[in-house]
Order: sequence, then C-alpha cells, then structure tokens
Amino acid sequence: MIKNRFLLLLQTLWHANRFMHVVIAVLLTAGVFFIYSSTYISEDAAIRPLYNRQLVWIVVGLILYIGFTVSDYRQLKRYEWAIFCGSLALLVLVLFVGRTMFGAKRWIMIYAGLGIQPSELAKLATIILLAGRLSEPGRNRRTPQELLLTLLLVALPAALILQQPDLGTAMVFLPTAFVIMFVAGVPFRYIGGLAGAGFCMVLLLLSALLLPARLGASEEMQERIASWTGLSGYQRARIEVFFNPALDPLGAGWNRRQSEIAVGSGGIRGKGYLQGTQNILGYLPRSVAPTDFIYSVIAEEKGFIGASAVLVAFAALLGMVLATALRTLDAHGRLLCVGVATFMFFHVFINVAMTVGLMPITGLPLPLLSYGGSFLMVVMSALGIVQSVYVRCDRRTSYR
Amino acid sequence: MSTRERLQTVRMRILVVMGSMAVFFSFLIVQLWQIQVVRADEFASSLDHQSIRRVRLPGVRGRIYDRNGNVLAENHPSYCIALYTEELRQRGPWARTIDHIDAVIDELSQVLALEREVDRADIQRHVQRRLPLPFLAWRGIDASAMARWAESGRVFPGVDIYVESERVYPHPTVATHLLGYVGRADTSREDENPYHYYLPEMAGRAGVERTADRRLRGRAGGKLIRVDATGFKYEEHGELEPVSGEDVYLTIDLQIQVLAENVLSNQPGAIVVMDPQNGDVLALASGPFFDRSALASQAAWQSMLKNPSRPSVNRSIAGQYPPGSIFKPLVALAGMAHDRLDANTVIPCPGYYQIGAVRFRCWLRRGHGALQLAGAIEQSCNPFFIETALRTGYPRLYHMADAVGFGRVTGIDLPGEAAGLLPDDAWKRRQWNDAWRPGDTANVSIGQGALLVTPLQMAVFASALANNGRVYRPRLFTDESPVLVQDMGWPAEQLQVVQVGMHHAIHGARGTGRRAQIPGVEMAGKTGTAQFGRDRTHAWMLLYAPYESPRYAVVVIIEDEASGGVVVGPRLRALMQAILERDGFLVPDGSEWGHAPAVRQAGEGCA
Repeated sequence: MIKNRFLLLLQTLWHANRFMHVVIAVLLTAGVFFIYSSTYISEDAAIRPLYNRQLVWIVVGLILYIGFTVSDYRQLKRYEWAIFCGSLALLVLVLFVGRTMFGAKRWIMIYAGLGIQPSELAKLATIILLAGRLSEPGRNRRTPQELLLTLLLVALPAALILQQPDLGTAMVFLPTAFVIMFVAGVPFRYIGGLAGAGFCMVLLLLSALLLPARLGASEEMQERIASWTGLSGYQRARIEVFFNPALDPLGAGWNRRQSEIAVGSGGIRGKGYLQGTQNILGYLPRSVAPTDFIYSVIAEEKGFIGASAVLVAFAALLGMVLATALRTLDAHGRLLCVGVATFMFFHVFINVAMTVGLMPITGLPLPLLSYGGSFLMVVMSALGIVQSVYVRCDRRTSYR
Repeated sequence: MSTRERLQTVRMRILVVMGSMAVFFSFLIVQLWQIQVVRADEFASSLDHQSIRRVRLPGVRGRIYDRNGNVLAENHPSYCIALYTEELRQRGPWARTIDHIDAVIDELSQVLALEREVDRADIQRHVQRRLPLPFLAWRGIDASAMARWAESGRVFPGVDIYVESERVYPHPTVATHLLGYVGRADTSREDENPYHYYLPEMAGRAGVERTADRRLRGRAGGKLIRVDATGFKYEEHGELEPVSGEDVYLTIDLQIQVLAENVLSNQPGAIVVMDPQNGDVLALASGPFFDRSALASQAAWQSMLKNPSRPSVNRSIAGQYPPGSIFKPLVALAGMAHDRLDANTVIPCPGYYQIGAVRFRCWLRRGHGALQLAGAIEQSCNPFFIETALRTGYPRLYHMADAVGFGRVTGIDLPGEAAGLLPDDAWKRRQWNDAWRPGDTANVSIGQGALLVTPLQMAVFASALANNGRVYRPRLFTDESPVLVQDMGWPAEQLQVVQVGMHHAIHGARGTGRRAQIPGVEMAGKTGTAQFGRDRTHAWMLLYAPYESPRYAVVVIIEDEASGGVVVGPRLRALMQAILERDGFLVPDGSEWGHAPAVRQAGEGCA
C-alpha cells in the first residue's frame, strides 16, 4: 500500500511538467552557488554560512513543491478562506510581535534566528482566494459590486503590509490582482478604469514627491506635501534618488549606483565565479548581496551571457506556467496559474530592473535565486500548485 | 457567448499577458545590453575609479662622487616601525580601529623603549587621508631599538619594519654649499599623472643636488592598490618599478676641497681651485660652512638666515667683490694688445696719480719710482696701471674684460651664480646719470670703482693666464666635455711679460706675494687688497702652479682682511704645499698644514 502510494507519487511527478522541474533545479542550484559567492568573503560569521542554510530551505521547499504537485489543487477551494484569514491574522500579529529589521517589522521569529515573513505568505493566500472566487461558476464577475469586493480583499493584506512598512511587497498585490481579474473576464471598461486609476495614483505620488522641489517650493512646503503620500523618509529618498542619482551618491543612491557598476563592469563574459570585485570589496553591501542584489552578483561574475541566461530561464519558467493556464480547461486552475505567473513575474522584473537601474530600489527578492526561507517556501508551493494544475488538466489521466 | 468562444477570449487574454511579459523582459535584456556591453567600459572605469588608488614610488637617489671615486653623498636605509592598518582594523566605528592602533603603539613603545612620536590626532589623520598606506609610528629607529624589536619575541600582528631611504653625506661639513641638500619633494605639482598618494621623495634644493636633480632622482614608479568600500587596502598590484637615479661624478677633488676648507678655517671668504688645462673645478670652498642641521627645524633655519656672516651663501660663485690689484694683469694685457706699452716701457710712480683735482694714491706712499711692466706687476704699482689704462682707453679695456667673461656668469652647473659687474658708459649713465670719466677708468684699472667679480670668475681668469689665454667654462661633472668659451689669442711674448711679473710677485725680493713662496717650486701669482666701504679691505690672491706647466689655478679671497700678501699668502702657501706634496712635486717637510688629510675612501661607511 505504502509502496503503491510512493509509485503513484513518482508517476505524478513524471507526468508533471518535467522541463519545469529542470528549470527550477537549475535556478535553485545557481542560487546556492551565487549566495556562496556573495558571502564567502564576509567577515561576519552569521552571513558566511547562508548558502548552507539555503540548502536546508531548498529541501523544505522541495517537500512543499512535491506535496502541492501530488495533491489536488481543487482542494484549495475548500481552504481558501482559512488560508487567507490565517495569513491576515499573521500580518496583524507581525505588527505587534514582529522583529524590527532595517526599520520595518517584517519578521515573526519562531526559533533562534528562524523567522517567517507573513507578507510573503499573504501573496500566495491572496492569489488562491482570488482565483477561487473569480472562477466560481455562479458568480457574475461583471457587476461593479463584485469588482469592488474583490479589490477590497486585495487591499486588506496590502494595507496591513504597508503598515510594516514594506512598500515593495504591498505593490505586488495590485498588479497581480489586476491580471487575475483581466484573465477572469472582468470587462475592459473596469480593467481600463482600474489601470487608469493606478496610473494616476503613481503619477500623483511622484509629482507630490518631485514637483515641489522642481517648482522651488520651500523646504517645509516640500516636506508637508511629501508627508501626504504616507511614505516614510527612506522610501521617499529612494524614489527621489532614482530620478536624481546625483542627489546622494554615498547615501540613498549608493546601492543603486554600486549595483549598476557591478552589473556594468561585468561586461559580456563577466569577471568569473567568485571574482566579483564589487562584491568582494564590499561596495555592494554584503548584507543585501545574497538577497535583494543576488542578480548584481551574477551579472558581475558571469557578465551579459550569465545575466541574460538567468532571464531566459525565468522567461521559460513563466512561459511554462502560463502555458499550463492555456492548456487547462478548469477556470480555477487557470487563474491560479495566471496569479502565480504574474506574482513571480513582478518579482523578477522589479528585482532585475532595480539592479540594472531601471527602477528605484525596492526590497523584492528574486524568486529561487535570492537567499530567504519564507519567500522560497512560497515560491516552491506556488510552483507546486501550478504543477498540480498541469498534471490534472490532461483528461487522459485522472488523478482522484 | 458560447463556452467555446469564452475560452477563446480567455486564451486571448492569457496570450496578451504573456506578450506583455515578453515585452517587459525584452526591456530588461535591452538595458542589460546597454549597461554590460555598450557602456561596460564606462562602468569598469567607475569601478577602478572608486576602488583603485595609485601610489607613487620614488626611485632610489643616485650617489655623488668626487673625481677619484670618493663618496660625497649617498643613501642609507632608515628603519621605521610601520603599522598596517588593514590588519589592525576593528569592526564597528572608526574610533575603535583608531583606539586599537593607539593601544598597539603604546605596547610597542614599552617593548622598544621608545618615546611615542605620534599621537591620536596623527593616527586619525592617517586613517582619513592615507588609509591604504602603512602608518609609520617611528622613523629612523636606532640599532638598539631594532635589537629590542628582534629580541622581544612578541608577535605584533600588522606591525613590521619598513625601510625608508635617507640621504647621507659621509663628510658632513665638507663642500656643503657645493653639494647642497635635499628636501621633501613637492611631486604633486609637476606630475601630470594623477597619483592619489605620494611616498616621501627627495628633491635637490641647492647645489649639485639641485642642478643634477633630474639625473640623481631617477624615474618614479607606481603601484596600484585596490581598496575596499571602507578604504582599507585589499590588494596590491605592482604597476611600474621605479628606476634608480644615476650616480654623478664631480670634477671636485675631495682632498683639495678639504685642504681648501681647512685653509679657509671657516672665515667668510672663498677658495676656488681649477685645472687650467680644461676648466675642471677641483675645489669650490666657501666660508663659513653651511650646516645642514639648520634644515632640521624652522627655528634653526631662521637663526641661520639671521647670522650676519650669511653661511647659506656660496661665496665662491655668488660672492661679488671688487677685485683690487689682481685685476691688473688684464690691464697690462689690454695695453700690450693695442701697442700702448711693451715690456720695456717705463712709467714713473711718484706715489700717486693725478687726474684733475683727484689724486689716486699708490699703496706705497713714497712711490715705486721708474718701473717697467714686470716690476709693476711684482710690486703692484697703482699709477703704472692707471697710466696704462688711460693710454689704452676704457672701451678696449672693457672689451677684453668682457671677452674673458667678467660681468657675466661663467655658466657653472650650480644654482645662484652671480654675474658680477663690469661697468661701462651706458651703465654709468643708467645708474648715475653721468658720463664715463677718466677717473672711472683709473678706478677700474686698479680693480676698484664699480667693478665687481666673483671668485670663480677670477679663477677662470687665472686659468687663462696660466694656459695661454684659453677661457674654459668651469666644469663640474666629469661626464661633460670641457667647453672652450674663448681663446683670447694673447701673443706669447706679451703674456710672458705678465707671467714673469707674476712669477716675481711670488719669488721676487720685493714681490707682494712672497709669503706664498715654497722652496723648490716655481709659481706665479698676484695679490690684491680690494677696498670696500670706508677703509676696509678684502684680501685676494690668485696663483697658478707649477710655473712651467700649470696644473692648478687658485683664487683665494678672505673677506674684511687687511692685505692679500700678508693674510692670504701664508695660507695659500700651506694649501699649495699640501697639494704639491700629495702630487709628488715636493718632499714633505712637516710644516703647519703640511699633511694631506686622510680622506675616507669610497665604500667606507659613515653614519
């Protein structure tokens, strides 16, 4: 009996998207290598063994990946509210018991340096909830009430995350919800309105931050207007520095500048594994090199060839996730895949864009490559769910 | 809408999402291409700019030798205790690293039994400005401290011995004006290559050290230091090895130089010894001697500058004096060259010479009586040469003096040479708004008036008298070939009259320079007692020897002394005796300065 179950598991994995297994494995392996490269020189004993710990996270992540692959994603429908509410509860909890790091409460410490980031969990929970709700057969997705309710559901975790504060993570929620709604068939006029509103908000935000200084308003006035945006000082500084890098090259502009130098000086072929001078000499801060700036390390050491190979791998991965969405006939599964693809896409795009100087610095990790347990768990689970959809969209085989 | 159609729409929308993602990804690829391929060089240079520091490494300075290979200037290693900051760095704020360095220096101070030479502020300054370079806590530590360092057995991580180069003069009091001294080079101005740090480098500030600086200094090298984000040294790349400076050989003869300085006995004055055959400068002494220890501190330097006898001036080339009677041979030659007199012309000396209302006295009040040229030189009669000069006419006299090189620098390779002054009508009109008068001619003819010469110019003239009128540029470096500036073309029979007169001046019974006489050696000379101010005189003497085949042309001046013959004569005798004994022309007789001093040979050390 046990043997049968084990065989069934292997069979399921075999029928899953095997190419996706390979891409995931490649990215995870590369992640471990470059986490090592970005930390081996560090004098900080807490940072050097990060690659080891990442290996442990990968093992846990693989268990989750396999677990989600073999179990039926349709079961999620039953738990979607429980998962969502649970993650909301954690988000509330983190505001009270969270550990403050770099000026934000993002972590709930469980045991001796091990912590979880509820905001990462909330991303997946929201995707699961939205996919479930928007694929319910009886629900009319065309009414404004329904739309409003959906938006409210997304706004709730986003607002809680903003309280930590973590602007970058909160920002991922809206476009993810937007794309899920788009694919779910919400009419163009709503979608267009939503996009327009989002665009206007960003525009307003930026003009509140940047225009007063351009127009020559007094310092106080600038400060007053800027405070309406509700952004904290360092967030504003990062955005201002993005539009004006010369503003503070040694302070808020430092990471962006150093990351750009790291990527640029890599050239076509890169400086070679473990040879990234920006990283070795500590210009790329060692605390963020293995997490948010892992891509700079790869780009410096492996050059344009390595950096674009990573992008190709992500494109292939996202393509496979979306292809699963195309392939399945089940609306729930489709929306799950779209949600996972969108959320991963935003992480990849924003992370890479900030390393190459296209966007302001936001602390979004790179899926599968960056060091970080909670995020890896979430990504592996999400990919497991996609595989679960993949396995079950083929009508020739039926699993439960 | 049918299910099928709806599925179509949904698929379309997914494809739209896919397409947009592809578009965004291609943005990223384009940007990567921009940064990593198109602008790669720009970023690579920003990387170097922020992480690479260039350090200038000076070449080892060349040595200075005399003509016989005796070392006049060389370098000695000076040992320093160096702290390598990158090995002493502490985590956390800078103050902790500085504290740590401070504590290490305290410990070292006990182990080495050396007083601390640096304070916290120095450490702080080093950390701020020269972090990638070693911090020198003690410089020039002595042997006992080195021994304590070696024996202590204590291990100080990040502390090591660092060797600096120090300029050393084995004969610290000899030829100080001539050799000059070195100071810390100000390399930042002259160098077009941007260096971030300069290691201490020597630059010649005076004398030969300055004129030969380019050769002595060699070529500076450089190395690249890669620094980390906090500014500590991470690694070093040699970039360019420094090239050691050339060694320089002077025409100076150390023994003669030492003799000359002994004879001068630190009185204000100068002695120049030249080889008349080629213009080699064998000795160039100036008193009082210049003490390099005055360079040690600002206070010492100031007090030296305030010293009324001005020891910093190299009198042999920069001292300008009226020549007095030693100028007379030139007047005689000018007169003979224009047929205004010959060896047999008799001019009477009543003890004075009257021009209008002015009476020019002869030094011998009662007068020399009737004199011929040779006798006039021997006895240094003033009226004889005034009459000669007036007969010749000043322009002709001026022309010859100018041709010999008076009123111009000789061009010796030393900084600060003075030109002297050879006055003429134009000069007098400029200076005094007055015409040139016979009285002026009379003054110049006896080496007075506005005429000013340097001892070196006189030595060049003495050489010309000794070698048939050939005027050489004084040569200081043996690797330069002699430069014949002018051949005066004095007819042999005319020159011989002057030479005979000068011979009599030494060997004659009434010769003014007979105190310089050395039995057994024939010499020719001329004394001078030049008036300056009111009733004060400088004592001059020029001389060449041996008479028949001259090897040495010597000029001596002692400031503010009564008489060339009386004051300078005996000293010149002592000098020549020692030189000629050394050369084997004379048998030593054990007189006062009679022994050539023992001079350390090249290669022997001297602290």
